[in-house]
Amino acid sequence: MTVTAVRQQAPAAAGHVHGSTLAGTGTLIRFGLRRDRFKLPAWLLGITVLLSLFLSAVSENTKTEEQRQDLSRFMEGALGALFGPGYGRDDVTAERYVVGVYGLFFFVLAALMSLQLVARHTRAEEQSGRAELVRAGVVGRHAQLAAALTIAAGANVALALTLSGVMAANGYAGADGLLFGAGIAAVGMVFAGITALTVQVTEYARTATGIAGAALGAAWAVRAVGDMMREHGSPLSWFSPLAWSNQTRPYADGRWWPLLLSLGLAAAAAATGFALSTRRDVGAGLAAARPGAPVAAPWLRSPLAAAFRLQRASLIWWTAALAAFGFIFGGLADQVADPENISEDRIEMFGGSLDTLVDGYLGMITLLTAALAGIMVFLGVQAVRAEETTGRAEPMLATAISRGAWFGSYLAVVSIGLVVLLTLVGLTTGVGAALSVGDGSYVWQMTTSHLAHAPGVLVLLGIAALLFGVLPKLIGTTWVAIGYGLFVGLFGTIMDMSQSARNLSPLEHTGQPPLDSVSWSTVLVLLVVAVVLMGAGLAGFRHRDLETK
Amino acid sequence: MTTAIATSELVKTFGSTRALDRLDLTVSTGEVHGFLGPNGAGKSTTIRVLLGLLRADSGRVEMLGTDPWHDAVALHRRMAYVPGDVELWPNLTGGEAIDLLGRLRGGLNPARRAELIARFDLDPTKKGRTYSKGNRQKVAIVAALASEAELLLLDEPTAGLDPLMEVVFQDVINQVKAEGRTVLLSSHILAQVEELADRVSIIRQGEIVQSGTLAEMRHLTRTTIEADTGRPVSGLDQLPGIHDLETGDRRVRFAVDGDHLDDAIRTLSRFQIRTLTSHPPTLEELMLRHYGDELAAAGNGRNGDTHPETAGTGEGARR
Repeated sequence: MTVTAVRQQAPAAAGHVHGSTLAGTGTLIRFGLRRDRFKLPAWLLGITVLLSLFLSAVSENTKTEEQRQDLSRFMEGALGALFGPGYGRDDVTAERYVVGVYGLFFFVLAALMSLQLVARHTRAEEQSGRAELVRAGVVGRHAQLAAALTIAAGANVALALTLSGVMAANGYAGADGLLFGAGIAAVGMVFAGITALTVQVTEYARTATGIAGAALGAAWAVRAVGDMMREHGSPLSWFSPLAWSNQTRPYADGRWWPLLLSLGLAAAAAATGFALSTRRDVGAGLAAARPGAPVAAPWLRSPLAAAFRLQRASLIWWTAALAAFGFIFGGLADQVADPENISEDRIEMFGGSLDTLVDGYLGMITLLTAALAGIMVFLGVQAVRAEETTGRAEPMLATAISRGAWFGSYLAVVSIGLVVLLTLVGLTTGVGAALSVGDGSYVWQMTTSHLAHAPGVLVLLGIAALLFGVLPKLIGTTWVAIGYGLFVGLFGTIMDMSQSARNLSPLEHTGQPPLDSVSWSTVLVLLVVAVVLMGAGLAGFRHRDLETK
Repeated sequence: MTTAIATSELVKTFGSTRALDRLDLTVSTGEVHGFLGPNGAGKSTTIRVLLGLLRADSGRVEMLGTDPWHDAVALHRRMAYVPGDVELWPNLTGGEAIDLLGRLRGGLNPARRAELIARFDLDPTKKGRTYSKGNRQKVAIVAALASEAELLLLDEPTAGLDPLMEVVFQDVINQVKAEGRTVLLSSHILAQVEELADRVSIIRQGEIVQSGTLAEMRHLTRTTIEADTGRPVSGLDQLPGIHDLETGDRRVRFAVDGDHLDDAIRTLSRFQIRTLTSHPPTLEELMLRHYGDELAAAGNGRNGDTHPETAGTGEGARR
C-alpha cells in the first residue's frame, strides 16, 4: 500500500509547481524564530530601551526656552542635515527633537538588525553547508529566503509597535508615534530586501552584509547632502530610502504616503533576490570568487609582516572611517560651538567658558576618537585571541618563531597602527576645524592633541594584552575599561564624578586637549604603564599553554 | 641508531582530566613511527607537548636532543608539523599560507613546493575560506613537506583526503623516508600506518600500551587460520593457545597464539588439509585487543575478547 501512496503523492506535488518552491516555509519560520529566540528579542528590547533613554534625556533638556533654542542648532544647517531634514525645528519639542535628530540612530539600528537577520538565515547557512542539509528535505527553492524575509517583516512590525508604544507611554500622540515607528520599520524592510539581493551575489555572508551596509552608508550620504542643498530636503534627498521615512514628518505634519516608496523598493529588491536565486547553485554566488596570488609577496616573511598582513584591512578601514568622522565633526566646530543661544549645560560640557567653546568641543571629539581607537586596539588583541582559538596560531607557533615574537608583532603592528591613525585623524579633524573656524593653527593643534591620547590608548592595549597573556578567557572585560573611559570623558563633568573615580580611566589622565594642556610627565607615566602591562602580557603568554581545539 | 623523540613518564592534565598518564614514547632517527589510538586517546595532546605548545605537568621530553618547551624556536627550525584540523586565514590564498609558514620556518624548497602542489592537485590561488577540509589539509601537508625539516610531526594528516590523494601521500612519505628523515605519523587509519610505519606505538587513555615493530607485535598476537579438511577435525580444543574455535563438518576456523602455531598446524595436518588460509593479525585486530574492552562495553564486542587488565571506564582523555 505504501507504493500506491507514493505514486499518488508524486503527481500531486508536481502539479503545484508554483507552491512547491515555497514548501516548508512555515516550518523554517518557526525554526528561524527558535534559533533567534534570544538574539531577536535582545535587538527589539535594546532599541526600545534606547528610545526610552533618549526620550527621558531630551525631555530634561527641552524644559526651558533657552534649552530649546540651544538644541535647535542640531536641526539646522549642515549639522542638522547630518541627522535629517529638520522638520519642526522652528518650534522644538522633545518628540520633534527625538524624531528629527535621534531618528537616524533608529533607522541605522533597524537596518542593521534586518540586514544581519536576512544574511544570517540565508547566506550564512549556505556558507556553513547547513542550507544543503535543509534543502535536501521537503523544502522549496524559495523557502529559506521567504522564511528569512517573513521573520524580518515580523521583527520590523514588532519594532514599529513597541516604539510607538514607548512614544504613547511617554505621552506623545499615538498616531504620530505609530508613523515614526512605521518609518523605522520601513527602513528595516528596505534593507532586508536589499540584503535578500546581495546574498545572491556573493558567496560570503560577511561580504553580503558589507555590501548592504555600504548601501546604508550611501543612503545616509545621499540624504545628508540632499538635505544640505535645500531646506527640508532637495530632489536629491528623495533618492535615499532614509529620506522617505524622514519625509513622513511625524509630530510636525504627519503623512503616510512616502512609506509606499519604501515598501515598493523593499518588495522590488526582494523580488529581484528571488529571481536571482533561481539562476545560481546552492552555495554559489552570482559573482564567482576571484582567484588570488599563488605565491606570497616577497615581504611576507617575518612575524611582523604576517601580523601586518592580517591586520591591514582592519587598520585601513578604521583609519578611513575615523578620519572621515573627524573631518565632518571638525568641520562642524563653528556651528556646534556657536556662542549665540547656547545653554549653560552645553557651556559646561564644552569646558565651562564661552571663550574656549571651540577648543572644548574639539577636545570632546578628540576624546571620542581616542575611545573609538581604544576599541580598535582591543579588537586587534581579540583578533590574536581568535587566531589562537580557531587553531590558526598552532601551525604558526610550530614554525621557528617564538611566542614573544608572534604576539609581540601584533602588539607592535597595532601600536604603530594606532599612532598612524591618530596622526591622520588629527590632521583631518584639524583641517575640518580650520576650514570651519577659519584658523589654520588648528591643523597642527588637533594633530598633536590626537597624538597626546596615544599613551592612554596604549594603556588600554596593555590591559587587553595582559588579559590575553594571563587570563585569556576574560579578555572581554577590556570593554569595561573602554566603556568607562568613554563614560567618564563624556559625562564625568556633567555628573560631578569625583576625581579619584575619574582617574580609574586611562584616558582621563591625558585630559581633553586642545582645551587642556598635556604634561610630559603624564605621557611618560602612561607609556611606562602601557609597556609594563604589555610586557607582563607577553611574559604570561610565554608561560601558559596554547589553547587548542 | 640515535633517538629523535624520547619522552618518559609524561603527564599532562586539563582540569580533572588526565590527558597523558606517564607516557613513554621513543622514536628513532630515520624511522616512520606510527602513532595509533582512538579519538581522545591523547595523540594530539602528545604531539602538542612535543611541539612545545603545551607544557607537560611532569616527566621528560627530548626532541632532537632539546627540550621543546624551552628551545621551541631552535627545534622548530628542524621540524615541520601538520595539524589534524587545519584552519587557514580566510583572506590569504593557499599559496600565500604555504609560503608564509615555510618562510617562518626558515625557507622552503621552491621546486619541491611546485612538485607537491602538482601532485596533490591543489589550487594555490584560492582564498583560505573557500577551501574544503581536504584542501586545507593539503595546504598544510605541502607547507610541511616542502621544507627541508629533518623531523615531521603529522597529526592525522590525511583526514579529509580522498583515496587517490591518500596514495599520493603514501608515495611522498616513502620518499621522505628514503631521504632518511624521521616521521611521527599519528592516525586511526590502520591501513595507512601498516603501509608506512617501521614501528608502531599504540596509545590508549594517555599511555602507551604497546610499542614495537609490526613483526614484533604480530609475534605477540594471534594468527587466524581457516581450513577445509578431508575429515572432521578433532582435538584442537585440547591444545593450548587456541581461541575462538569454530568447527563445521569439514571446515575449521580458529585463532592461535604465535607460540602455539606450530602445534596447531601439526595437529591440523593429520586431518587431510584441502585448503588452508592464514592471515596475520591486522592492526585492526591489534587495536581490538587493546580497545576490545571499550567496544564490548559499548555493545560492539566481537568475540567478547576482553582483557580485564586494560579494562577501564570513562571517556578517553581530551585530544
